Amino acid sequence: MALSILGVALGVAVVVGIDLANSSARTAFRLSTETVAGRATHAIVPGSGLLADDTYRNLRADSGLRNAAPVLEGHIRAGSASGPVLQVLGIDPLAEEPFRSYTGGPEGELDLGAFLGPQRTGLISRSTAQGLGIQSGDDLTTFREGKSSSIRILDIIDPDPGFSEASLENLIVVDIATAQALLESPGKLSRIDLILSKEEQGDKIAVLEDVLPPGARIEAASARSSTLDQMTQAFSLNLTAMSLLAMVVGMFLIYNTMTFSVVQRRGLIGRLRGIGVTSSEIFGLILGEAAVVGLIGSAIGMVAGVALGSVLIDLVTRSINDLYFTVRIQDLNITPLGLAKGVLVGLGTTVLAAFAPAREATRTMPSTALRRSEDESRLEARRGLLAGSGLILGILGALVLRTSGESIAFSYVGILFVILATSLWVPFLVDSGSRAVRPLMGRLFGVVGRMAASGIHHSLSRSAVAIAALTVAVAATSGVGIMVDSFRTTVDTWLRYSLEADVYISPPGMVFRRNDATIDTAVEERIRSMEGVSETYSVRTAHVLIDGRMSDLIVTEPRDSDLEPGRYKELPDFDHREAMTARDVVMVSEPYAFRFGTQVGDFLEIATSDGPRPFEVGAIYYDYASDLGVVQMARSRYEFHFDDRQVSGLAVYAADGVDVDDLIDNLTSVTANDQGLLIRSNRSLRQASLDVFDQTFTVTAVLRLLTILVAFIGVLTALMALQLERAREISVLRANGMTPSQVHRMVTTQTGLMGLLSGLLSVPLGLLLAWLLIFVINQRSFGWTLQFEIDLMVLGQAVLLAVIAALLAGWFPGRSMSRMNATEALRFE
Amino acid sequence: MIRLIPLVLLLLAVGCTQPPDALEMEDALNLAEAMGGDTLGYARAVGPKDFDFPSDFGAHTDFKTEWWYFTGNLRSEDDRRFGYEFTLFRSALRPPDSLASPSDWSTNQLYMGHFSLADPETGTFHAFERFSRGAAGLAGAESPPFKVWLEDWTMESTATDPSSLFPLRLQVAEEEIAIDLTLDAVKPMVLQGERGWDPKGEGNGNASYYFSFTRIRTSGTVTIPYGQYDVEGTSWKDHEWSTSALGDDEVGWDWFALQLDDGREIMFYQLRREDGSQSPFTGGTLVNADGSYRHITRDEMDLRVEGQWESPLSGAVYPSGWTLTLPGEDLTMRVTLVMPNQELNVSVRYFEGAIDVEGSSNGEPITGVGYVELTGYERPTS
Repeated sequence: MALSILGVALGVAVVVGIDLANSSARTAFRLSTETVAGRATHAIVPGSGLLADDTYRNLRADSGLRNAAPVLEGHIRAGSASGPVLQVLGIDPLAEEPFRSYTGGPEGELDLGAFLGPQRTGLISRSTAQGLGIQSGDDLTTFREGKSSSIRILDIIDPDPGFSEASLENLIVVDIATAQALLESPGKLSRIDLILSKEEQGDKIAVLEDVLPPGARIEAASARSSTLDQMTQAFSLNLTAMSLLAMVVGMFLIYNTMTFSVVQRRGLIGRLRGIGVTSSEIFGLILGEAAVVGLIGSAIGMVAGVALGSVLIDLVTRSINDLYFTVRIQDLNITPLGLAKGVLVGLGTTVLAAFAPAREATRTMPSTALRRSEDESRLEARRGLLAGSGLILGILGALVLRTSGESIAFSYVGILFVILATSLWVPFLVDSGSRAVRPLMGRLFGVVGRMAASGIHHSLSRSAVAIAALTVAVAATSGVGIMVDSFRTTVDTWLRYSLEADVYISPPGMVFRRNDATIDTAVEERIRSMEGVSETYSVRTAHVLIDGRMSDLIVTEPRDSDLEPGRYKELPDFDHREAMTARDVVMVSEPYAFRFGTQVGDFLEIATSDGPRPFEVGAIYYDYASDLGVVQMARSRYEFHFDDRQVSGLAVYAADGVDVDDLIDNLTSVTANDQGLLIRSNRSLRQASLDVFDQTFTVTAVLRLLTILVAFIGVLTALMALQLERAREISVLRANGMTPSQVHRMVTTQTGLMGLLSGLLSVPLGLLLAWLLIFVINQRSFGWTLQFEIDLMVLGQAVLLAVIAALLAGWFPGRSMSRMNATEALRFE
Repeated sequence: MIRLIPLVLLLLAVGCTQPPDALEMEDALNLAEAMGGDTLGYARAVGPKDFDFPSDFGAHTDFKTEWWYFTGNLRSEDDRRFGYEFTLFRSALRPPDSLASPSDWSTNQLYMGHFSLADPETGTFHAFERFSRGAAGLAGAESPPFKVWLEDWTMESTATDPSSLFPLRLQVAEEEIAIDLTLDAVKPMVLQGERGWDPKGEGNGNASYYFSFTRIRTSGTVTIPYGQYDVEGTSWKDHEWSTSALGDDEVGWDWFALQLDDGREIMFYQLRREDGSQSPFTGGTLVNADGSYRHITRDEMDLRVEGQWESPLSGAVYPSGWTLTLPGEDLTMRVTLVMPNQELNVSVRYFEGAIDVEGSSNGEPITGVGYVELTGYERPTS
C-alpha cells in the first residue's frame, strides 16, 4: 500500500511540478507586462525597432494628446556581466501620473533634478534592493551588451495599488533620458502608453492613426500580455503532456497495487461475502480505499510537486530565456488551481485504475475466495479478446491522430490510445512469448528456466500488467530518447552547414537564440578592416511587424553557399537569391511557414520605416534556431526600407594561411576594451548552440527519469503481488525438494525474463512513439522537418534498462520467497 | 509679476501655518524643492543690466526661475465678459553643470503652465496646470523668433520680423476650454523697478529682472463648453526672472495690474510680512498715456481692503475689494472682483482674478479693468 501511495505521489508530483513551473513562468511574464503597462489601455508601438521620440513630441505638442506617456524599455544586468537581469522601465515622471505611480508626479517626493539626468539615477523596489544588497543612495553597476555603466539608486518604490510587491521584482524605473543613455537608444522610445476611454477609443484611434509614423500602430494593452501564451504555447503544452505520460505509467502502477491489495485480502473479502456483505458494498469498499490511497498519494505528491516545481522552474526559465524572451522568475507561483489539478489527476487516475480490481473483488465468491486459477484461465481465454480490442483501440488512436488536424492536445490523446492499445496486446504477446521461450529457457537454465517461463503465463493477470507498465515506461523513454537524438542530429547537421565562417562575433545578449543586441559601428569597422580577415558577413536581428504580428526579421548578406538546394524546403522557379537583392523578396523559415501557412509566392506585409510594403516569399528554408519562425531579408533591401544600419553579429572568414585561433586572439585584443564581445570559433559556437539545445531538453530528461522510477515501483509491486499469490505454489515446490537457492534463481530468472519481454516489446512501441513525436507532435507543435535517426544504442539501453529494472525489482521478492517457510505456507491446505 | 517667487514664498507660508493635511505639506515642500531651495551655482540679479532684445525675450536658464505671464479682460460682440490668465513658468531643478548626456531628454529645466478662464456670466472659473521638462521639444523658450511653449500651450510671435515680439499669438486648450488670441502692444515696454532691476527683499541679489507690456490690444476666440466667442479686449504681459527674491519674513503679496480708460496703467504690489505688516519692498509703477512711466514708492500709495471672500474649497479667506489711492496724482480707485471665485486650485493654490476699477482722477470719474494676484492666504481648514 505504501508503494502504491508512493506511485500516486510520484505521478502527481510530476504533474504538479510541471504545471507550477509553467504557470509561474506565465505569471511572472504577465506581472512584468502588466506592471509596466500600469493603467494604460492602449499603446502606440513601432512597426519595427523603436519609435522616434519625435512621435511623442508631435502627439503631445502638435496634436495636443493628453494621457500619453513615453516608455523606453530594455534589460540590463546588475552587478556583473553575468549578474541578475533587471528590466529597465524608462519613463517621463511628468507624464506618468495617470499611468503608474512610481515617480509620484511633479509634486511627488522624487528629486526631479537628480532624476531627469544627466546623472543616471533609478528607483527600485525594496526586495530587489535587498536582493542586490544595495540601498537608496548607492551606486549600482550595470552591464549591457558588454559595456558597464552605473546608476545611482535615488529611492525605493512601492507597488501601485492592486499590484503585489512581486510586480516590481527586478524592475528599475529610470527617466527616459537615463534609459536612452543606458540602452544606447538616443532619440528612441519603445512605445507610447495611452489611456483611451471606451467612448473615445474608436474616434481617437482613427485620428491618431493618421498622424502616426509609418509602420507604427495602436495596440490594446491586453494584447501584450497574451504574447507569452502565443509564443510558448507549444513548449508548455509539450511539457504538460510529458508530465501526463508519467501519470499514465503511474496508472498501471495503481492498477497493479489495487489488484495486489484485492488479492492480498481475497480471504478476508471471501469471509465478508460469507457473512452477508453484498458485492456492491465490496465494490464501494475497494473504490473507497482507492480514493483514500489517491488522496494520501496526491497530498504527498503535491508537497513533492512543489519541491520538484522549484527545481523545474529553473530549467523551464532557462529554456524560455534561451528560446523566447527575458523573464526572471523569482518564486514559484503556487496556485490553488494548480494544486487542485494535481489532486484531480491523482484521485481520478487512482479511482479509475482501481475500477477493474474492485470489480474483480465483487466476483469473489465465498467458496472461490482462495482460488485464483479461475481468474487466470479467464484472462488467458480473454487475451485474444484483449488483443482484439487493442487492435480496435489502436485503429481508433490512428484515427484520432489523423483527424486531429493541428491540435497538439488531441495528438497526445491519439498517442495515449496507441499506448493503451499496445498494453492490451501485452497479455497475448507475453503469453505467446513466454510459451515460445520455454524450451529455450529449459535448455539454458534447466527446469528452473522452464518453470520461470511458464510461471509468467500462469500468472498472466499479474505479470502482464507489470510487463505492460514496464514496457510503456521504457518505450516512453526510448521514444523520447530517439526523438531528442533525431532532433539533435538534425540540428547538428544544420549547424554544420549553416556555420561555415571561421569566427562568429556577437555582443553578449539576454536571449541566446534571439539576440538583438548590436555591435558598435566603430568596432564593426575595425573588425572588417582587420588584417587576417578575408571576408565578413553581417547579421541583424530586428523585431518587425509582419502581417500584423511582431516577428523576427533576420537580415543577412547573400553568400554563394546560399545557393545549395539542400538548405531549402521549397524553392521558386526563379533565382530567389538574385531576386532578394533586386526586388522585395524575402525567405521564410520552415516554422514560420508552418505557423502562418505561408507558401512560396505568397506576399507578406512588412512594416518598413516608410510604412507597410508587400514582400514576396521567395523560398522556405530549413531553420532550427527559432520555433517561432523567422523571415530573412537581404541586407541591401533592408537598408533600402529601414532606417537601421546596425548589425547584431558578424561572421568572419580567415584569410588564406591565417590560423583561426590566432585570428580569434587578434580579434579579442582588437575589441577587448570595447564591448566584451563574444568571439567564438565555428566549432565553439556550434557547441554553445548544442549546449542550449541540451539545456532545453534537460526538463525532458528529468521527466524521463521520473517515469522510469514510477515504472520501477510498478514492477516491484507487481512482483510482490506474485510472491504473495505464489506462496503455496512455492511451498509445494519446496516440499518437493526445490532448494531455496533454486527458488531464488527461478524467481530471479522469471523477473529477468519479464524484463526482457518488456524490453523487447518496448522496442517497437518506442520506435512508434518516437515516430509519432517527430512526425506528429513536433510537426504540429513547431513544424520542423527532422531526420528520423534510430540510434541502436538507445534501443539497446532500453532493453537493458528493462531487464535491470526487473531484476532489481525481482531480487527482494525472490529472496523472501526462497526463505519462505514451506510448512507455514501449506498450513492452509 | 511675482509669479514664481510666490511659490517659494507661499510654501514658506504654508509651512508656518500648519497645512490642512500631510499631503498638502508634501506638495508644498516638494514644490519648494523644485522651485526654491539653494541658490548656489545660479546667476543672481545683483544690479541693473543692459537688456539685449530680442534674445532677452527668451529664457535665462542660468537663473533659477522665470515666467512669461499674460492676463487680460475680454468681451464678446454680445458683451459677454471673460478674464484669462496664461502663464508659463520655467524653473531650474539644479544649477547648470557641464555633465553631458547622449539623450535630448536630459535636462535641468522644468516648465509649469497655468491657464485660467473666468466666466462671470455663469460664475464659472476654469483653471488648469501642466508640467513638462524643458527638453526633447516638449517645452521651452526661444527668441528670436519668440516662442515659449509647454506642449501645445504656446505663446508665439507671428511677426514677419523675427526680432519683433508683437504681434503674438496665445493658444491654450484644455478639456473643453480654449483661448486663441492675437496680441499687439499699444504701448512700449516698461522696465520695472530700477531700469528693469526690481529688488524684492533684503540682501544682495534678492531681486528680479522684470519688464512689462502694460496695454496690449487683444482679439481672438474664447471657447467654453457651450460655445465659441469672438472676443476683443486688453492684455498685460510680464516677463520676470530671478534666482531668489523675497526676504525670509515675507509671507505673501497682493499684486495689481490696472488699465485705466484714460490711457494710464498702474502696477502695484504689496508684500506682506508674517505679522501682517507691509514690507518696505512694496512698490509699483505708473505708466502714462504717452508711454512714459515712473516708479511708485510704498509711501505714495494708500491701499485699503474692503470685503472678504472665503474659498469654499481651501478655506482661505481672501480680500475681495480694495481702495487704492495715489494722493500725489489725485487718483482714487475702487477695485472689485468681476466674480468672487477666481482661486486656482492647482499644485499651489493662489488667487488670480479679473477686476473692475471705478474711481476718480482730478475729480473726473474714471473706470478701468485689470488683474489682481493674491498669495499667502491659505489657512488651515480644520
